[in-house]
Amino acid sequence: MSTSELRRIGTMLTVLGLLGLVVVYWLSFFWVSTEASQGVAQRIFYVHVPAAWTAFLGFGIAALASGMYLWLRDERFDRTALCAAEGGMVFATIMITTGPLWGRIAWGTYWTREPRLTLTLLMWFIFLGYFLVRRSSENPEKGKRYAAVTAIMGALLIPFIHVSVLWFRSLHPQPVVLRTDGGPALPGDMLTLLLTSLGVFTMLFVGLFMLRYALEGLRNDITLRTRKVIV
Amino acid sequence: MSLYLRQIKVIFWKDLLLEFRTKERLIAMAAFAVLTGILFSYTLDTTRLRPADVAAGLIWMTIVFGGLLGVGRTFHLENQDGAFQGVLMSPVPRDAVFLGKILANFLLLYMIAILVLGVFTFLFALEIRSSVWALLLTLALGSLAFVALGTLFAAVSSGTRMGETLLPILVLPLLLPVVIWGGVVTGRLLAGRPVSEVLGSIRLLGAFALVAVAAGALLFRFVVED
Repeated sequence: MSTSELRRIGTMLTVLGLLGLVVVYWLSFFWVSTEASQGVAQRIFYVHVPAAWTAFLGFGIAALASGMYLWLRDERFDRTALCAAEGGMVFATIMITTGPLWGRIAWGTYWTREPRLTLTLLMWFIFLGYFLVRRSSENPEKGKRYAAVTAIMGALLIPFIHVSVLWFRSLHPQPVVLRTDGGPALPGDMLTLLLTSLGVFTMLFVGLFMLRYALEGLRNDITLRTRKVIV
Repeated sequence: MSLYLRQIKVIFWKDLLLEFRTKERLIAMAAFAVLTGILFSYTLDTTRLRPADVAAGLIWMTIVFGGLLGVGRTFHLENQDGAFQGVLMSPVPRDAVFLGKILANFLLLYMIAILVLGVFTFLFALEIRSSVWALLLTLALGSLAFVALGTLFAAVSSGTRMGETLLPILVLPLLLPVVIWGGVVTGRLLAGRPVSEVLGSIRLLGAFALVAVAAGALLFRFVVED
């Protein structure tokens, strides 16, 4: 796919995603039924859960692409990892801000020692390291390798971080859609809205990712051309 | 002895010799550990809480901070005069270099960890006689996990402009399991609970250390490529 094509499709998906976001907001405020035990606060669920899904999608792609980059040394994998990590960072920030807001009302506390909360927070910091390493390397090639190593190490040790925090009793709601015993446990309209929202967030992520990827490509081109001019 | 093990041994001895000739890191870490222990003991209001109850967490944080101080400078001396290029040009595989280095770092940090335990036992009046072997094992596994992560990311951070200031940001998030399992095990043992109660956590800590060492050995070659 050429850069201009990427930009066109990326812009389209981003605009569609943003429009979809408006629809999701409208639906979650006015259309969907109020949850019986948690009341209105539960409506943040339709932003929180899709943001969480997208964040882990982004971080997952970043870790995989980092591994591919170290293996094949193809610039495109590094670019993919960088752009996916940035997307993951944005959605993870949404997840960690919406979560405590809901927790304050539902649990009575903003933060608790809980597996999923801790995991996300540490993931956020691991990828902060990922960007810092990239940025503070004088030689860009080195920075790419360092960043890839950081992402892979994070991905490898995440299961341990998860298991270690399981020590503490979990307050976090258990999965309601993908469950091991039978199908989804959500009422129809809630499930519809959640799935719509998941679709919208994913579309927004892919759109932003494509735009960012195209931008990184342009930046590369410019660097190459200036280098040629100087030589 | 196979060639690979001999190569690891050569790197290990080289690092250890370097350290024991200068004693820079050893003295810095030991002084840091003792001083931190003393300061920690004065931060606690002993009229309200028993120091022994919070000692486990403080022991692990002292080891982590002291470790960052010492392990972060693993490549400092070698980078200064380009000696590390020589190590990389030798026919020793990169993972053997890494394993040799973490063994040397491990020995260093383990000595400090034991010193930390001693300092806290002394200052906080801890009762460790009944569980001293389990405590030493836990400290060993935690130190091993720490040096595996610390050495890998010391190589990363020493190659950046930010240098050692970057190391904690890279290492601390990954150290959470060490702090949790190490802290839980040490806390229980210091409270006089039987070893059987914490055996599961010790095993998990060991598994974490092994994975960290293996992953570090695999990834190290990508860090020191040129």
